[in-house]
Parts: sequence; structure tokens; C-alpha cells
Amino acid sequence: MTAVTLDLDKLYSARLHAVRVRPYLATALFALHVVESRRVPTMAVDRHWRCYVSPGFVDRTPVEELAAVWVHEVSHLLRDHHGRGDRAAREHGLTGPGERLRMNIAADFEINDDAYGDGLVRPEGAVQPKAVGLREGELMEEYLTQFGLGPRTQHMAWLDCGSGADGLEREWDLGPDGAHGLSEQERDAVRFRVAQGITGRPGNTPSGWKRWAQEVYHPPQPWRELLGAAVRSATSGSGAGDDYTYSRPSRRSAGVPGAVLPSLRRRPPRVSVVIDTSGSVSDAELGSALLEVTAISRAVGGRRDLVTVVPCDASARIAHPLCRAEGIPLLGGGGTDLRTGFATALRSAPRPDVIVVLTDGQTPWPGTRPPCRTVVGLFPRTGRRRSWDEDGDYVPDAPPAWARVVEIG
Amino acid sequence: MLSHAPSAPSAPSAPAQLDVAAGLLALLRDTTTEPRPDIQLEALTLAVAADLPVLLWGEPGIGKTAALTQLAASLDLPLTTVIASVHEPSDFSGLPIVGDDPAEQGVPMAPPDWAVRLVRAGRGLLFLDELSTAPPAVQAALLRLVLERRIGALRLPPEVRIVAAANPRSSAADGWELSPPLANRFVHLQWTHDHDVVVRGLGGTWPRATLPRLDPERLPEAVDFARRAVCGLLAARPKLVHRLPSGETRRGGPWPSPRSWEMTLCLIAFATAAGSSRDVLSLLVRGTVGDGPGLELLASLDRMDLPDPEALLADPAAAVLPERGDLRQAVLDGVVEAVRGRPEKSRWDAAWALLARALETGAPDLVVVPASTLAALRREGWEVPAAIDRLAGAVALSRRADRAAARSGVPVTAGR
Repeated sequence: MTAVTLDLDKLYSARLHAVRVRPYLATALFALHVVESRRVPTMAVDRHWRCYVSPGFVDRTPVEELAAVWVHEVSHLLRDHHGRGDRAAREHGLTGPGERLRMNIAADFEINDDAYGDGLVRPEGAVQPKAVGLREGELMEEYLTQFGLGPRTQHMAWLDCGSGADGLEREWDLGPDGAHGLSEQERDAVRFRVAQGITGRPGNTPSGWKRWAQEVYHPPQPWRELLGAAVRSATSGSGAGDDYTYSRPSRRSAGVPGAVLPSLRRRPPRVSVVIDTSGSVSDAELGSALLEVTAISRAVGGRRDLVTVVPCDASARIAHPLCRAEGIPLLGGGGTDLRTGFATALRSAPRPDVIVVLTDGQTPWPGTRPPCRTVVGLFPRTGRRRSWDEDGDYVPDAPPAWARVVEIG
Repeated sequence: MLSHAPSAPSAPSAPAQLDVAAGLLALLRDTTTEPRPDIQLEALTLAVAADLPVLLWGEPGIGKTAALTQLAASLDLPLTTVIASVHEPSDFSGLPIVGDDPAEQGVPMAPPDWAVRLVRAGRGLLFLDELSTAPPAVQAALLRLVLERRIGALRLPPEVRIVAAANPRSSAADGWELSPPLANRFVHLQWTHDHDVVVRGLGGTWPRATLPRLDPERLPEAVDFARRAVCGLLAARPKLVHRLPSGETRRGGPWPSPRSWEMTLCLIAFATAAGSSRDVLSLLVRGTVGDGPGLELLASLDRMDLPDPEALLADPAAAVLPERGDLRQAVLDGVVEAVRGRPEKSRWDAAWALLARALETGAPDLVVVPASTLAALRREGWEVPAAIDRLAGAVALSRRADRAAARSGVPVTAGR
């Protein structure tokens, strides 16, 4: 077999085509530095944004397919598959080339489900989640937990998108000190410009890229942590929880005769959980959120009897202490009016330090700020994923500014 | 076999055993260091040198204290560590001392001994550790110390630098977080550990960071650069000047305001005078104004480094274009825009010569879009320059891409 020379014109024509059909990826595509390599099977990237290209592969692949491969490879880098692969490997103890191959496949699933079409042909052999019976539209980490190497992935064993896709150094990699690599800051800058281009002109950008652009610099935090932080900060603020008080003398007072020093006292926070029991919130969601709130309030020193639950639909029922939570009748359905829920929670004696509201937000809110801290756990409305601004027919009031809002799920 | 069984102790004296233990400890502590670039430590050093309050966010036990020790040694400052969570608020706001006639003379607030020593020394590095596990009243007293530099009746001298450390919100036991006005006063540095460094350190070799030194020669240049960078961005993007954080995820973090932009300006000047890398600057800027505005600033710094389109048009033959494709494309787009802004025949010709040069020195696909935009700028009576022949390669490339587009079912749009 005679060695073919790398047909750069063909490769760059393909890149031009890719830029024309995916203008928002132009910066990233142009930032890639081409390295000719006879050891890569097709095309591969490393984490320093070098693109290794096999001359033979360019020779036997049509321009339009090469364009699709360009987009595919740059997607690995934009989506930080190597960094995420490394993190997944550390978290789950995945070692060895087999696991890295699985990461490469899972990363390809994430890219391939909406990368092609609309002017970009599907390259031959592009792996699809459907091929192993998985759903589309998920992330690499989710796919990783769902399949193993076996007969159904046999045809994917040749797959190799390089260290940029799965984090495993290849023998052809030029490494961090090689020429034309991008530093971490430069990589961030390229990613940022691409994300800015997408959020600035979303147009007909596929939803996967829009989601990526939204989340690349503000990854969503798990709602449990956010809700926990909100409740903790509400219950440990002044007036509740551990703090200094002048109501009892400090132990140090003996050393400073005549001075009045505060002492550390604990006043366990009273938490009132108002639960929206209208039809649109599912029992499973409610259950998990309620468990979370009680666990958090217990962790900050709230005793079980200091947590009360107010089920609420159009008219709030009585407040139940949590020790009978198992038997709380979460009656309801139909419309919600959380104002009555607030009123009931505030009427209970002694008054709560914190009100936690679990709702889907389809309700009128109290017009004035209640005399205690408020945390709102907001469920996404059923049937849609956090897209209530896209819905034209009914837009409920947003939670008021005085409440701290955490989106759940 | 019996010889392996523990023999009856031959009554070793206790001091001898402790000597052996001391020997073992000495062996364990016998570690070496190796130079290793550490951008976290470099960023911290610059922020401390710039006298801005720094807040280190990091899980417990990952070497924040060790880093501070190294920093203090390199800045030649005595280190005072105060564990906030074991103190009472009066330790920071001052202990009331009742005198003979409180109504007449008042009750002075006496500072704690470490503060007195610090003030007497006149200089030092004060490290307020475990800020987030202290009760709210202690935190409130501490923030006055950080922001106003006051402990009771004492005022810390300007040579005392303050660094605070806090655990991230998710792992903090009582979930303290900064309100936006407080968050805005800090340079937030995320402190993480490097797996390789830890493993190698436990093996006996710890890193020794070479810390940045400010170059006295570069001070005026650094200030000028920093002012141009920040003012250039904010003039073009007025919305970035002030943007309160919205949403639960961004609470307690850095956000842009005139105050934090001023801090950014200061940090850019320090990083420039120290010749620090962009990675260090990136940590500092993003930790002061937040990720979004910080990245925009860094992107505009990258553009400041690019050659000026007017200079390129003035002498296309000597033009040096950036190697990186995306930057090169930005330069070529800038040149075409400059011609569009003031269309003259000579400038149009110079732009063609520049494109031809770009084609000779780099990837041809970059040239196609600027070339077609430039062609569209042609006015009546302007003759096609000779340089355009040298663009034949780009035209062929463009045609080839057009054919690929046709095969994959895209209508070929004219002009691109």
C-alpha cells in the first residue's frame, strides 16, 4: 500500500462546508490545529485542541462526510468530554481501556443524536444510542450507566476519537508541551465565544447545543444542595439557630467583672412546610422534597416536633406536626391558593422562623412579605421541562422577590 | 520459631523509646521540594500583593493553610492564623473593659492579644480560617475586621494583609453564604487540590512554587494596559458594569459592579507587572466579576493582542497574521470591516493583498468568507487587483464545499 499524502484542500473544503452549515461552531472549528498522523484510524482530537488526521481516511471519505466528522470531533472538545470522562472515571472507579472505550461511545451518543441532518450528512458508522436500545437526548454520564460492552457494541470497538473524547492519552498525542496547543484559558475563551454566539442568535440551533450554551458556564446545581443551602441559611440566620444572646451571661463574664457579655445559645428553628397539594404535583415529587426538607431541618438542629406541615390547595387545612407526617392527609386537587397556606402557617403558635413552600408555582402569592424567611421549592410543571416561558396560554405569577426560589428536579 | 515471638521487653527506658519515635518522625518529615508552577498560588499572591480581600473557597484539609504558610514565607510576612469558629464575637469587636467611671469615661473595647501583637509588629499576614463554620454573630464581627480592618479600638496597619477561607456552601455545616454586597468585596478563589501534587508530596517531594515578582520597569505600562482593557470592554458593553446576581445558583459568588471592576483593573495591572500568564489572570478576573463578564474581558484582551486592522492595511506585505485559525479569522474579518467603514480603492487593494498573504501562510478555508465579503464591497470603476489571482486556491476550495453542500441537500446561498 503506497502512502497517500494528506489532501489538505479536501480537508479544508470540508471544514468550510461545516462552518457554512454550522456557523455557530466556526470559532471552534477554526481554532483546531491539524496534525497529520498515520497512526490514527480516522480523525481524533486531543485535549489541547489538536486534530489528528489520517491521510488515508481523508482520501477515501467524501467531503460532506468529512465535514460531519469535523463537527463531531469539535463537539467532543466543546462539551469537555475528556474532563468529564476523567471525573466520571474518578467517581466511579472506571479504569482500563475498555472503560475509556465505553466513555468514547457514550460521548458519541451524546453528540450524535442531534448533530447531523440540516445540511450535515450522517457519517458512515456514527454510533447511535438507539443501536443499543437507549433513549436519545441524554448526557454522556447518563449513558455511561446504561450499557456495557458486549455483542451489541462489537461494531463500535474500532471507535477512537482520541484523548479529547475520553481523556486517555494516546501514543500519537503531542502532549501539553507540543506546538500549537491551546492553554486552558484559551480553550475556555473559545468555548465562551461559541456559547455566546449560540445564546445571542439561537435561531434554529439544535436544542442540545442551546442547552449546552446555557449550562457551559453555569452548570445547574443539584436541587437538593440548593434547597439545603437555602433552608440552612434561613434557619441559621439571626433570630434562629445558634447565635449569641444577651439573655444569659457568658461564661467569660467572670473574667471581665462589670461587663455584660453575650453567650452562645441555641434556639432550634421552627420550620413550617406548606405543601401545594393541587393535582399538578406528583406524589413522588412531593414525597422526595418533603423528606429533603425534614432531613435538612433536622441537620440544622430543628427537632421533629418543630417542623409542621400545612397541606394546601384552594383552602389550607390545619397544620400538622411532623411526628404524624406518615398520616398527613395530603388531600387536594384542583386549584391552589397558597395565600391561605401562608396564613395558616403564620397563625400557628409559636410562629415559624422559616416557611418552606413546595409548589409548582401555579398560584397567587401573598401581596406582602411574611414576617419570616421564605424558601420556595418550585416543581417544574408537569409534561414540560422548565419551559414555562415558552407556553403562551397561561403564565402564572413568578414567586415574589422576597422568597428564595429553588427549582426542584 | 520462638525467636519470632515477641520477646520479653528488656525494660527499655521511656526516653529511649521516645528518641526512636523522634527518629522516625524526622525520617517522615524529611521531604524535598521541587519547583512547579502553581497558578492558584500565583493568583493568591497577586491578590494579596494588591491588598484586596481574598476569600478562598475549598473543602477542609486540602492545603489552604499550607499554601498560606508558603505565601507568608515568600512575602516575608509573619503569619497569624485565627480559627474563626472557636472565637466569640467580642474577640473581634473588642472585649468591654469596665473602668472606674463608665458613665463618664465610657467602656473601652479591648482587642485580643494577637491583634495587639499584629499591630505592634506593623506587618503580617492574617489568615481567618473556617469562616463558614462560625456562628453568624462571629461572622458579622469578622466581616468588619476584613472590610474596615478594625478590631475593637485598634486599626490594623496597611502592611497587614488579610486572607479568609470558607467551605463551599454545599459542604458547610450551617450553610453560611455571603450576601451580594459582601460577595462583591472579595476576590473569590476556588481552592482545589491537584491529585498528582498530593501523591507526589506524600511520596516525599512537595512542590515549591516560584512566586511572581513585580517588575518596577513595567509599572506605568501595566497601569495603562489595565485601564485600556477594562475601559475598552465597558465602553462597548455598558450592561456589564453592574449586574446583580440573579438565581439561587449564583448567590454568594462574584458579580460585576463598579467596585469589582476597579478591583479587576487593579489585578490586571498587578498580573501585567508580574508578567503572569493568562491562566492566572483568568482565575483572578473570574473570581472578581464572575464567569460571564470575566470571560468577556479575557476575550477582549485576546483581541487587544491582535494586530490593528489599520496597521495591516497600511503595510500588507509586512503583515504578520496570528497562527491560530480562529484569531486569524477575527483579524481578517476586522480588516474587511475596516474597509467597509471607509471604502477607498487603495484600502480595498491592500485588503486583497492581505488575503492573498493569509492564503499563503495558513489554512485556505479561513479566507473564503472574508474574500466574498470584500468582493461585495467593490465599487464601480474599481479594477480587480492582480493579487486576486493568488486567491484561486480559495475559490476552488469554496466550489468544492459548494458541491459537498449540494450533495448533502443544502441550497447554496450566494455570497458566502
